[in-house]
Amino acid sequence: MTEKRASGGFYAWLLQRITGVVLAVLLIAHFIVTHGLPHPSGVTYARIAPRLATPTWKVIDMLFLACALYHGLNGVWMVLQDYVESEGMQTFLFGVLCVLGAILFFLGAITVIPFAVQA
Amino acid sequence: MLERPNVIKHYRWHMGTWAWVLHRITGLALVFYLVLHIWVIHNISSGPKGFDKVMGVVQAPLFLFLELGLLGCVLYHTFNGLRIMIVEFSKEGCEAHKMVWGAMMAVAGFLFLLGGVPMFVHFLHSIAG
Repeated sequence: MTEKRASGGFYAWLLQRITGVVLAVLLIAHFIVTHGLPHPSGVTYARIAPRLATPTWKVIDMLFLACALYHGLNGVWMVLQDYVESEGMQTFLFGVLCVLGAILFFLGAITVIPFAVQA
Repeated sequence: MLERPNVIKHYRWHMGTWAWVLHRITGLALVFYLVLHIWVIHNISSGPKGFDKVMGVVQAPLFLFLELGLLGCVLYHTFNGLRIMIVEFSKEGCEAHKMVWGAMMAVAGFLFLLGGVPMFVHFLHSIAG
């Protein structure tokens, strides 16, 4: 394995760590706020919709979405680089991950940004 | 191009590959979950009836039980990830890497009990009706 393949570059390495720390904080907050831990309560529209409709939480959720997708898909990319030898195949799979990331970010964005509580 | 610090190779050799393998497996499981999660939560746009119907399905007893595995994956991946950073960024952390490992896993284990025990009780209530 060449050094070029083993490394995704310094900025990818750094960004994986920054998003990792952000996710650690947001994920623990998510478990407490959304799932009520350590007193788990079921997720219902009535309980979570009012909070999701506030601008502050929309910003937090978009940050959460972006960090989770970057961190997760970059992680998959690192795994793929270790097991896929062919450069053509690597380029193809990188494209697949980018498209998947774009679709999921779009799906998340259209869920979060225009959200308003319905009766 | 900047090279990754040698310390990355260093800790891999010393901590053993299994911590690394488990980080990969839990990471891939979490990506799989993330895709499903974004897809499922998209249903909130359909309003209270549609959303609560979908949530009723994904909060069935089987899924409440599987969520214990999700919590485990999240906590292992989070605290092993923090361990990686401590060992990479701090000379002291690198030298005391076994203690860092023990401390991180102790925190992860504590949080797993703190969240997991009530989740398991919640699961038991759900099967009892």
